[in-house]
Amino acid sequence: MWSRLKRTFRDDSRTQEIQEEIDFHLEMETRGGRDTRSARLRLGNPTRIQEETRAAGIYGWLESILQDIRYAMRQFRKAPGLSLAVVASLTIGLGANIAIFGLIEAAVLRPLPVADPDGLVQLEWRNTRIPANANMNCGSMSGARNIQASDSAKGGGRVQLPCISQQVFRAFAARQSGFVGIIGTGRPAEVAISATAEKPAEQVRFLYVSANFFDELGVRLAAGRPFTTEEDRPQAEPVIVVSHRFWSSRLGGDPGAIGRSVRINDKPARIVGVAPPGFFGLIPGEWIDVFRPLGSEPASQVPGFGASFWGVDIVARLAPGASAAAAAEAMTPLFRNLVAETTGTKIEEGLDLIARPAARGLYSGDDAEVSRALWILMLLVGVLLLIVCANVANLLLSRSVKRRPESALRLALGAGRGRLVRQHLVESGMLAVIGGASGLFLGSILARWIHALFQTGQGPGKAFAVTLDWRVSAYALAISTLTALIFGLAPAWTAARSQVSDALKIQSRSVLGGGLRLPKLLVSVQFALSFAALVAAGLLGRSLGNLYSTDLGFDGELVSFATVRAGQAGVPAAGMSAYQARLIEEITAIPGVVAVATMLTRPLDGGPSSQSIEAPGGPPTHLVEGVVNPAASATLSAGGPGFIEVLGLRLLAGRTLEAGEGCALFRSVVRSGGEPAAADASCSVVVDQRFAEVFFRGQNPVGQVFRAVGQPRQIVGLVANARHGSLRGEAPPTMYLQLDAPSSSLTAHLAIRAKIDSGALAAAVRQAVVRIDSSVPLAEFHTQSELVDRLLRTERLLGLVSGAFSIAALALAAVGLGGLLSYVIARRTNEIGIRMALGATRAQVRRMVLGDSIGMVGAGVLVGIPAAWAVGRYLESQLVGLEPVDLSTALLALLALIVIAGMASVLPARRAARVSPLTALREE
Amino acid sequence: MPKTDNLQGALELLVLKTLCRGPAHGFAIGSSIQQYSDEVLRVEAGSIYPALHRMAEAGLLKAEWRTSEAGRRARYYRLTPKGRRKIEAEEGKWLAVSAAVAKVLRTV
Repeated sequence: MWSRLKRTFRDDSRTQEIQEEIDFHLEMETRGGRDTRSARLRLGNPTRIQEETRAAGIYGWLESILQDIRYAMRQFRKAPGLSLAVVASLTIGLGANIAIFGLIEAAVLRPLPVADPDGLVQLEWRNTRIPANANMNCGSMSGARNIQASDSAKGGGRVQLPCISQQVFRAFAARQSGFVGIIGTGRPAEVAISATAEKPAEQVRFLYVSANFFDELGVRLAAGRPFTTEEDRPQAEPVIVVSHRFWSSRLGGDPGAIGRSVRINDKPARIVGVAPPGFFGLIPGEWIDVFRPLGSEPASQVPGFGASFWGVDIVARLAPGASAAAAAEAMTPLFRNLVAETTGTKIEEGLDLIARPAARGLYSGDDAEVSRALWILMLLVGVLLLIVCANVANLLLSRSVKRRPESALRLALGAGRGRLVRQHLVESGMLAVIGGASGLFLGSILARWIHALFQTGQGPGKAFAVTLDWRVSAYALAISTLTALIFGLAPAWTAARSQVSDALKIQSRSVLGGGLRLPKLLVSVQFALSFAALVAAGLLGRSLGNLYSTDLGFDGELVSFATVRAGQAGVPAAGMSAYQARLIEEITAIPGVVAVATMLTRPLDGGPSSQSIEAPGGPPTHLVEGVVNPAASATLSAGGPGFIEVLGLRLLAGRTLEAGEGCALFRSVVRSGGEPAAADASCSVVVDQRFAEVFFRGQNPVGQVFRAVGQPRQIVGLVANARHGSLRGEAPPTMYLQLDAPSSSLTAHLAIRAKIDSGALAAAVRQAVVRIDSSVPLAEFHTQSELVDRLLRTERLLGLVSGAFSIAALALAAVGLGGLLSYVIARRTNEIGIRMALGATRAQVRRMVLGDSIGMVGAGVLVGIPAAWAVGRYLESQLVGLEPVDLSTALLALLALIVIAGMASVLPARRAARVSPLTALREE
Repeated sequence: MPKTDNLQGALELLVLKTLCRGPAHGFAIGSSIQQYSDEVLRVEAGSIYPALHRMAEAGLLKAEWRTSEAGRRARYYRLTPKGRRKIEAEEGKWLAVSAAVAKVLRTV
């Protein structure tokens, strides 16, 4: 096989061999008595024999393809500028597509890095008896006993959740028979780990997993061993499995790291294993660096609380060929019994077990925000690629028209039409392959950039595994081929239509007048698509602008937030109060710092905590017995003395909270001193306008009394609305409460108001933290605008990337328009010369060219309007403060389009007007 | 039935059959066919060389350079086992067809 191929490729030696064979034949003929002349006559045309002999055999076609490729290379060399333009356009179009596909693949499409991912299901339960718009949450303080309601209703009058208590999980795993295996995991969370004594602690994502996690998933550890059943128990020795990336970057890839002890939250834990490379866990976008046995999870061990802590997600493996729905249905009675046994409530009535495919990760489809943003970008890059196709088709078309004489000549000399078409397709294919290869390169860079945008303000634990794997490469190949077919079709068709007689007619330039309908149409298509892309980018960009200009309600220009996870570094809960006092003292002493206050949670940091509110004139607190009404809840913002002033809330009535007016969050909370908190008969709070509207409509809220989670509160002040969570929609009612004692929480959040540059402040705060206790690192430091950036990372990504892509689209369309106009003028030089000789003015010539341009662009915009309308509808859910059909955005896009199109047409128009009649006529 | 391009098929069969006597170069093959057919079948160089190369690519023949009886370098072809099997398969078919054709010609 190889020798055959080699022979086919080594063309010259083969030709020589055949020649020698024919020569020998001739010689034998002459030897037989004939003279050379008659021998040659008998032989026939030696070149033809040579050709036919070469073409014989199964590799003949390959040879002719090679010929086509050589010919194509010659064509590229003949017009390097054009070839470069084509390859550059293709690189942009294909690169953008490959980048977005790579991200979609990593975030949405790629199966989990486990054995037989299709056999994995996530078990969830659904309760149809829970009223509409109630919502139960997984994790702390929730569960069957304590249903938290929120306004993000899951519709249909039912609740569907993946989590269950650890007791139910253990019992279910032991007694179920419907699945081959049952795995339990916690939720990914942050943990501080210090790999060696010298290195400071760092934050990584970690996950509690049941002992059978790795074995059941078919994940073979790179080193060490998985957890044992004994280690998956409350009092067992703490052990961990680390990710491969952690092992290679923090432990130097040292095999001796197995058995070594590291400190997790300042407590020792022994490394027993290393996960294989690229294994991130079960959720794309959550990169787990530390795995711990589920049994060591502390919350589920608290007596009296463990049963209501529903924090275990269940992953099951189906028997080969088994139906997920049937298995879940069969196990529903057992599940109901177990829930009834552990909770003692009637929640198990109407409870169903549901198996959801988990081949692509847990909660697949739940992270709709990321995947939706990616699909929007995919649509945009698809449009960009279509523009590229139209552009490249036009470039090649103009060349193919120029090559018409040559095509006609080849036809006249006996070339087959099929061969001509193939020649063109081979050329397109080669351009696409070159464009695809460079697009793959550009795509991998773009993908990394966009991924970095996605991660704005987030740690490495929130990474996707973006790699150029075989699927991305296959996609690149497929889309390049498809592109080649799309843009190669028009030129190939033109070539095939060449008539032999064209070869004669072609001598006269004037015959070439027609045949421009297709190129003009393609330019119009480019402008139509560009218009749609511009409108999309405009809508997303303006929506982002609206989000950024949202009134946060507090004066945040000078506010920064620092987070210190002192507890993780070994400061005990009892010492937190003193530690925080020191911290405030040290930071207040920094020159330029105006005020400092502790906060329970950081604003603009995802979901703020909310409490149910009982007010005399307000909405009912419960929808039915046991289910909280989401409309009767308010966001809680709590902090140490002065936090309202540090945040810069605008006081509208009454007064803010004074030092000493603190109260406890919950009645059950034990003070650091050990004595129980008083009944808090008069706990003063400040509320915002929205709160007053919802709970005290038409009354003066100051002085009113209400209950929050059953505890009495008195309103002393009214402030302007502020946003603590989402920037979308209406801000929820909010109340501000001053904590009576520094939170015993092991994480301290500080709000700092300062007049100095945030960089200098960050450095000073870091120094202060180290001064107090060198083993405690400053975990996070953000200015308020950084927090906003992080909150809006998906919107930012959409706005920036769609803006960049639509500018690229418009630039390509403009280049296409300019190129076509220049080409038209070059072909009509003669005609223009005649017109001018007959008295046409330069202005008239200019108008003629501009008229051409306006026709093309205008047609494009007309077609683009419905396309833009459709795009707006598609983007509807993403838009903030805008209608999907936004006239001003459309006009802005139109203006940009006209300006750019005008710029692209002016130069060719001026060149046309400069045509001298004499030269033009002489050129004929 | 032999393949529709039975003329080409016939040439191939003749070449294969000729080579049963041992390796030969292109000229010798052509001459042999001419000779055995009592000068009725004249194989042109323009047909035999493409056919030889085609058959070599198809693995029916093996080509090699040898020194000819005249002392000059020549390209010799010899049968491969696949070629021999091909003869067995094609010969019977060809005889059947030619007999059938002859019968039709005689009868009608």
